[in-house]
Amino acid sequence: MATTILSKKERKQIKDALWDNNPVTFQILGICSALAVTVQLKTALVMAISLTFVVSMSNVVISILRNKIPSKIRIIVQLSVISSLVILADQFLKAYMYDVSKQLSVFVGLIITNCIVMGRAEAYAMANPPWKSFIDGLGNGLGYSSVLILVATAREILGSGTLLGFPVVPQFLYDIGYVNCGMMVLAPGAFFLLGIIIWVQRAISGYTESN
Amino acid sequence: MGKDFNKESSSYIFTFAMIICVVCSFSLALVSQGLKAKKETNIALDIKKNILKAVNLEEHLALKASATEIEAAYENKIEELVIDPSGNIVEGKSPKDIVEGESLYPVYVYKEGSQKKAYCFPIVGKGLWSTLYGYLALEPDAMTVRGITYYDHGETPGLGAEIEKDWFQNNFKGKKIWDLKENKLHPVAVVKGKVADKYSGENAQFYVDGISGATMTSKGVTEMIARELNKYEPFFQKIRK
Repeated sequence: MATTILSKKERKQIKDALWDNNPVTFQILGICSALAVTVQLKTALVMAISLTFVVSMSNVVISILRNKIPSKIRIIVQLSVISSLVILADQFLKAYMYDVSKQLSVFVGLIITNCIVMGRAEAYAMANPPWKSFIDGLGNGLGYSSVLILVATAREILGSGTLLGFPVVPQFLYDIGYVNCGMMVLAPGAFFLLGIIIWVQRAISGYTESN
Repeated sequence: MGKDFNKESSSYIFTFAMIICVVCSFSLALVSQGLKAKKETNIALDIKKNILKAVNLEEHLALKASATEIEAAYENKIEELVIDPSGNIVEGKSPKDIVEGESLYPVYVYKEGSQKKAYCFPIVGKGLWSTLYGYLALEPDAMTVRGITYYDHGETPGLGAEIEKDWFQNNFKGKKIWDLKENKLHPVAVVKGKVADKYSGENAQFYVDGISGATMTSKGVTEMIARELNKYEPFFQKIRK
């Protein structure tokens, strides 16, 4: 594919973050928010976009600054950059998607504490040029997003019988006695789903815990 | 950079930290100011939506009512009043005109035609982590709760933040704030645990179920309802007569 914008290496980088090295299912990072915002698909989508924005942009900024950042204060510099971007995302949500921002409440702000963001900044952006760091951030953001969307889709359909607010479970099913699964609306529902997703993924990829 | 440039020297670290701080705060201030008008419109609309929710409109607004629908319903059904501490209506003032620190209080009257259906007023108080903002609406008898909402807080999701959930707010509907036997104010209070385990018969009507794991938030709710009701008591006294 000569026309593609991304080189083969870059595509591999993204694929890695999506599958072999997925931040949620492989590195088990960012679980807390993955539980909290996945009751509905809409909030999960907004959260996914916000996090992808924050992790890719913070990677770029930190990568540009990487040779200038004194190592003694590098963590706090990373945090300043990340938290500024998070507040930026939060402000835009408050201005343009007020309802969703109210539902997400503290969780947008808590992107700052999401290990994926700091993890990528410290482990990757500090040692690699901006474009590669951007791809890395994007890949990890998408890896997180894919899990979030998967969990949220399942939870909204099973728990509320809707998808993006539209009813998807046909009425006749309710008529013959089908009921929404209340557990899916609560946090344990997300735990079970996440566990199943990790199990399926590891079964396919053949991964085993070493040592 | 010169040969003697030292990235780890204290002066460099301080300069670098300063630049980061200034750049970050400047860009955030810029964005916050740029979006201010938009955010304020959203907040004003949200407040109207919450007043409409607290007074429990007879014709329920759709959950996804558009901005114009909310504005229209508010315009048609809600009358804005301002009262002074002795409960008299201050003519010619609207809640918007109240300056901070002034002891004038807003009241929102819900009307269907010419019939008064509810009195709604803001309630503000401390929860565990944050200040809680909401509205409480009373029936025209000024003794019964018609509805309550919370629209802004910073409590823990799943614990204190349950105050914004329907199950919690619905518990308040029909509860009493006036003790008819003793003829005095008896503000509705949040109990620890379930009301049914603690109070029975007549007494149960002054209490609502608590939120487990959120004792401090519940206490805050109880405290602010009592305080605000006392503040508005002179006004409601006149209505009860």
